[in-house]
Amino acid sequence: MARVKRGVTSHAKHKKVLKKAKGFYGRRKNTIRAAKAAVDRSMQYAYRDRKNRKRNFRALWVQRINAAVREHGLTYGRFIDGLTKSGIEVDRKVLSDMAIHEPEAFGALVAAAKKALEYLKDTTPNAFESAVR
Amino acid sequence: MKTFSQKPAEVEKKWVLIDAEGLVVGRLATLVATRLRGKHKPSYTPHVDDGDNVIIINAEKAVLTGKKYTDKKYYWHTGYPGGIKERTARQIFEGRFPERILEKAIERMIPRGPLGRRQMKNLRVYAGSNHPHEAQQPETIDIGVLNTKNKRTA
Repeated sequence: MARVKRGVTSHAKHKKVLKKAKGFYGRRKNTIRAAKAAVDRSMQYAYRDRKNRKRNFRALWVQRINAAVREHGLTYGRFIDGLTKSGIEVDRKVLSDMAIHEPEAFGALVAAAKKALEYLKDTTPNAFESAVR
Repeated sequence: MKTFSQKPAEVEKKWVLIDAEGLVVGRLATLVATRLRGKHKPSYTPHVDDGDNVIIINAEKAVLTGKKYTDKKYYWHTGYPGGIKERTARQIFEGRFPERILEKAIERMIPRGPLGRRQMKNLRVYAGSNHPHEAQQPETIDIGVLNTKNKRTA
């Protein structure tokens, strides 16, 4: 029976790890011992951050919507309240994109949201707008 | 659809002029800080310097409320043992650089880091009523009318 040497498989395994360690700092990209630990850890970060990415983006959309809506004298919370009450189901991603690229359409949504907010009816627009800022 | 990301080359930086006379320091600083960071724009992008250039004049006439004018202290450490020093707000207002009160208040509301330091450079505070940025044609904003609490008449 032919003799099996172990160099081939371990080299193949090491190659796989080192390929993923490309661009790492210092010894972590060249030596298998350091690279293995670094790659394991990087995979954990990648797994966690695939989930965090969804939260981060939602937070960014909210910040953008808030900025856009404040120009119209509303806050983010009131705007969303108005949208739900008027039955408009546009998600935050699309809303933030509309605020940037289609300000008129976004303005129409703001107007609809304002209409649905009962508690704004008694306040004069000026007093309210200054309260927002 | 991909979420929009502002490119540094495509940022349009406006110039804004604010007269700080009679305005409350902290209230003014929050508004200026949001503008410097660009958080007032729908296109706000956290890693890009997306804010406006802000010019503040009459910074020496900004006001502090309550007892802060006499009691608020600014500390710094020289690095030597026992080297902690302090000045009250009043000493700074009456000193050579009264505009530093506003500058410090705004600086402390901007995130510390490379981007924050760059955004602070877009801020120009002048103690008097003159500024050398006429060529930029700054747009004047009146902070006092936004909220009755923004302005104090002594």
